[in-house]
Amino acid sequence: MIIECRDLIKTYPVENTMVHAVNTVNLSVNKGDFLVILGHSGSGKTTLLSLIGGLTSPDSGQVFIDGVENWQQSDRALSTMRNSKIGFIFQFASLIPTLSVMENILLPLSFGRNPAGSRELALDILAQVGLADKARAFPSQLSGGQQRRVSIARSFINCPDIILADEPTGDLDEETEKDILELFRGYNEQGTTFVVVTHNSDLAATQKGARVFSMRQGVLSSQDA
Amino acid sequence: MALKNIEKQLNILDYALSSLWRRRAKSFSILLVFAAIIFLLASFQMVTQSLSDKAKQVLAYTPEITLQKMSAGRQEAIPLAYREQLAGIFGIRRVVPRIWGYYFDEVRLANYTVMGMELENMPEGARLDASLANGKMPGPEARGWVFVGHSIKEALNLDERYTFSLFRPDLTLKAFTVSGEFSRDTDILTNDLIVMNLADARDLYGIPAGLVTDFCVYVANPKEIDTIAKKISTALPSVRVLTRPQIQKTYQVVFGWRSGFGSICLLAALAAFVILAWDKASGLSPEERREIAILKVLGWETSDILATRFWESLIVSGLACILGMTAAYIHVVYFAASLFRPVLMGWSVLRPDLHLLPRMAAGDILLILAFTVIPYLAATVIPAWRSATVPADSALGG
Ligand SMILES: Nc1ncnc2c1ncn2[C@@H]1O[C@H](COP(=O)(O)OP(=O)(O)OP(=O)(O)O)[C@@H](O)[C@H]1O
Ligand SMILES: [Mg+2]
Repeated sequence: MIIECRDLIKTYPVENTMVHAVNTVNLSVNKGDFLVILGHSGSGKTTLLSLIGGLTSPDSGQVFIDGVENWQQSDRALSTMRNSKIGFIFQFASLIPTLSVMENILLPLSFGRNPAGSRELALDILAQVGLADKARAFPSQLSGGQQRRVSIARSFINCPDIILADEPTGDLDEETEKDILELFRGYNEQGTTFVVVTHNSDLAATQKGARVFSMRQGVLSSQDA
Repeated sequence: MALKNIEKQLNILDYALSSLWRRRAKSFSILLVFAAIIFLLASFQMVTQSLSDKAKQVLAYTPEITLQKMSAGRQEAIPLAYREQLAGIFGIRRVVPRIWGYYFDEVRLANYTVMGMELENMPEGARLDASLANGKMPGPEARGWVFVGHSIKEALNLDERYTFSLFRPDLTLKAFTVSGEFSRDTDILTNDLIVMNLADARDLYGIPAGLVTDFCVYVANPKEIDTIAKKISTALPSVRVLTRPQIQKTYQVVFGWRSGFGSICLLAALAAFVILAWDKASGLSPEERREIAILKVLGWETSDILATRFWESLIVSGLACILGMTAAYIHVVYFAASLFRPVLMGWSVLRPDLHLLPRMAAGDILLILAFTVIPYLAATVIPAWRSATVPADSALGG
């Protein structure tokens, strides 16, 4: 089991009440799984991804990545885990505006690894998302969809075991969306685990073999037949 | 492992440098303000330090006791005959009569200080020989020989010639020959000074025989200065007795007041700087907070993020220190600390071309660094730390 969530609860204080963003979620993900989580806006999808990736600590419950509990380890170990095992694709553009596309993509490799060959790797991945000619551009010179594709490219740079994707195709046209999903499938076939969050239910249909979940008011339920 | 760590630190340093460069306008303005503060602090420190060195020098050449005759609250000539009354006081080593005054040169519109004394009678150590850059003291018989300070030499154009003349009160001319020049180390004391034999000064000012302007009294045991001063006061009630400790105290009070005033101004500037730094840094812009959040998400440790901040601040403050200290040195040495002189000395008291030898103790440098670099580092690293320790997702939204 590569990801395991046990009785995850996360609440946020909103005005005078507590919002249960994630409410008692139990989830087991095997290596090579492709998960699609559907849900309306505000149903807790982003919060769940943050909990899995160790960006937010849960109120109660645990998240295990490869059998290690996220918040039982030091900041260093958690960071190393994030850096080496997880690729994040965020719902909103998450590029550093003052760095070029290439520099943004190389950020996860900034230290700890030999940079030799990483530029070639980055160019290769850029080509896979269809932006081979934009390596020197700055985020402000790209469209929203192009920025999204750069952050997708960045999530693949350190060959993570898990991709956590939050609305990865939200601002892409159908054609590009197809290409990106194709790309995901390719990585998935090589063993990369995907957890993709979306409110587009068609996405689930196109991804054969995907395990589909739906989320409603913080509660996760399986849609598998 | 160690090698990997070094490589990592180098990468962090690289990131810090490039992020300084990316925000070059902001980095540069902080650098300038920072350097300016260090420049002010360091100049001030160097000037006060070198002035108090000078003060020590002045005091070293000040007689242990000076006697002036007072009449109606004003100073007037003192009869040489008073020496006999002093002869009876135990503990006095030597009494040296002196004629000194100012000479206004109407041609060059400059003021000189003329001092005539029985040079050969001065005790060892109080002699001015030690402060001569070249030449030697004229002997007791050498009439018309003088030695001069630096600005006199300039004013009278004594580079090419050795002789000059000054007017007596009856407008006849008296000729002098330069036999030596004071070293610039004693500028504060000797810059505008013309030293000559007592007889020559008497001749120049037309002071009648048997009168001088004051007596320099040297004592056998410096611990007895006060006792001897009291005895002199009793013996010669019309005489004002000035002791070296008294002069020292006055000097310290004036100097202390001035430098205290300066310190307050500097502290105010420093406080403003710290507030500015704090304000700039603690109000991390949304972009900066986002950047920190993104780096965290990508697997940077909190300590890595702090390290980039730390390197950035260290680079800025290091450069600022080098710039500020160098500028301060140049300011003090080559521009004679022209920014501070009105505060520290007052234009009228000392010549504008006073030569300062800056002196800076290691302790002073550390103190300046402690007052600038440390608050700055704190002001930049702490907010980044606060921002790096909150959950990363809150800055990314979702
Ligand atoms: N940092 C936060 N502070 C307070 N409330 C929050 C915070 N993050 C999320 N919430 C609340 O938790 C609930 C779930 O939010 P979440 O962002 O997980 O929804 P989502 O499913 O990703 O929605 P969307 O599809 O619009 O992105 C919402 O009611 C939201 O208001
Ligand atoms: Mg969301």
